[in-house]
Amino acid sequence: MGEASRKSILSDATVKEAMRAQIVSLPANSPISHGIRHLIKYKINAVLVRGEDGSPVGVVSKTDIVGAYYAGIPIDAPLAHIMVSPPLFCTLGDSLESVLDTMRNQRVYRLYVREESDDSVVGVVAYPDIVGLLYGYCRNCDRSVMNRKKNLQDNVELRIKVKEVMRGSVVWFYDQDDLFRIMEAISEHRCGTVLVKNREEIPISVISKTDLILAYARGVPSETIAGHILSSSRVISCEESTLLEDAIRKMILTDLQRLFVWSEATENVVGVISLSDAARIRSGSCHACISSRIRVE
Amino acid sequence: MFRARDIMETKFHTLSPHMTVAEAIERFKQVSEEKQRRVFGMIVEDEVGRLIGMLSMYDLLLLVRPKHAQVWGIMTDIEVSGLFEVLAERAQAVRVEDIMTTDVITVAPDTHVLHILDIMIKKHVRRLPVVSDGVVEGMVYLSDLFYFLVEKLSPTRGPVE
Repeated sequence: MGEASRKSILSDATVKEAMRAQIVSLPANSPISHGIRHLIKYKINAVLVRGEDGSPVGVVSKTDIVGAYYAGIPIDAPLAHIMVSPPLFCTLGDSLESVLDTMRNQRVYRLYVREESDDSVVGVVAYPDIVGLLYGYCRNCDRSVMNRKKNLQDNVELRIKVKEVMRGSVVWFYDQDDLFRIMEAISEHRCGTVLVKNREEIPISVISKTDLILAYARGVPSETIAGHILSSSRVISCEESTLLEDAIRKMILTDLQRLFVWSEATENVVGVISLSDAARIRSGSCHACISSRIRVE
Repeated sequence: MFRARDIMETKFHTLSPHMTVAEAIERFKQVSEEKQRRVFGMIVEDEVGRLIGMLSMYDLLLLVRPKHAQVWGIMTDIEVSGLFEVLAERAQAVRVEDIMTTDVITVAPDTHVLHILDIMIKKHVRRLPVVSDGVVEGMVYLSDLFYFLVEKLSPTRGPVE
């Protein structure tokens, strides 16, 4: 595909504009329990692991910790035993297009950012950070819903709706199913959250990787039923015809990575929309800029 | 008479590691009302009274801080229904042990006040547990240390001990 056809709203944006400067890192000999505490405390999805000389040697994400829980690895085992090595890097001046390509090809959700001159790690960039940047563009765009009052003639059909971007499969379990099965499904479907239903088939809660790593930290056996570790008594969701920008706004404001999507009735959950999905479309939230994006993945 | 034991507060409140963050927040509120002084950090002790961590205002604020703070800066319509309910639910799901600081700096009862001052400045801490044989005997607060020194350095002070 030629350069001209690859042009998208992110073509001119660089890593520097979207990255976070805060890097949470731990020594490779730190126990997994320590890693979990850092993930929860700083509300992040991965920690950078450093070797004895302080150089970055790996990454431990919530997914890796859920894998350790599933495999029955002791909670005081060192992060070095479960880290993914080596960490993947980009540089401050790389385009976000290339970063998205690397994340897709390598099947990772974040890249650490290096200073080109001295190789020091100066930040991290993940899908939600890119969505945040795109959301900023949309806020300033004349076509945005926020600016719609002054653009009454604007056609609402231009805007992307949640159902165009969401994943149409929902992984769900009964509250009597055990954590072991849930972890298997999370790994198999590469999803971050499963829906939990009661016997009457009503969605009552969700179980996320965060819930699972907290259960691991607390010594909850993996054969425990889901109902015992539910941290929420509801499912935060949106309707399938919700505008993508409204769904992103809701996720940003409630610090959630994903929303379940319902159709016709809230009990009828038909999909999941995540900030990662929103980033992957490489567009803002209306067809004005989606027309120039390269593809929907 | 210039030691930690001379300026430490011996009545201090503690948290259990298994408390939820919501319970810890309630305890901060209660203790502040009780002491008529705002509390910004509390010791976390295990069942036998050993110091295992510290939960500070900063730890609680980290949990509340939006992940996408940079986006909040460009938003004017940040009212969203249920925002605080979501935060409150999160505070129920997370326990003190999940977010407390475990590498707590401590001093001994006979640590000199100027040494304590140095630690507080270098490490940016406002309170230090005074520990003897693993047991917390008291807390030294930066404000108490400051007013102790104000008293000692005042031109109208009494005779130096």
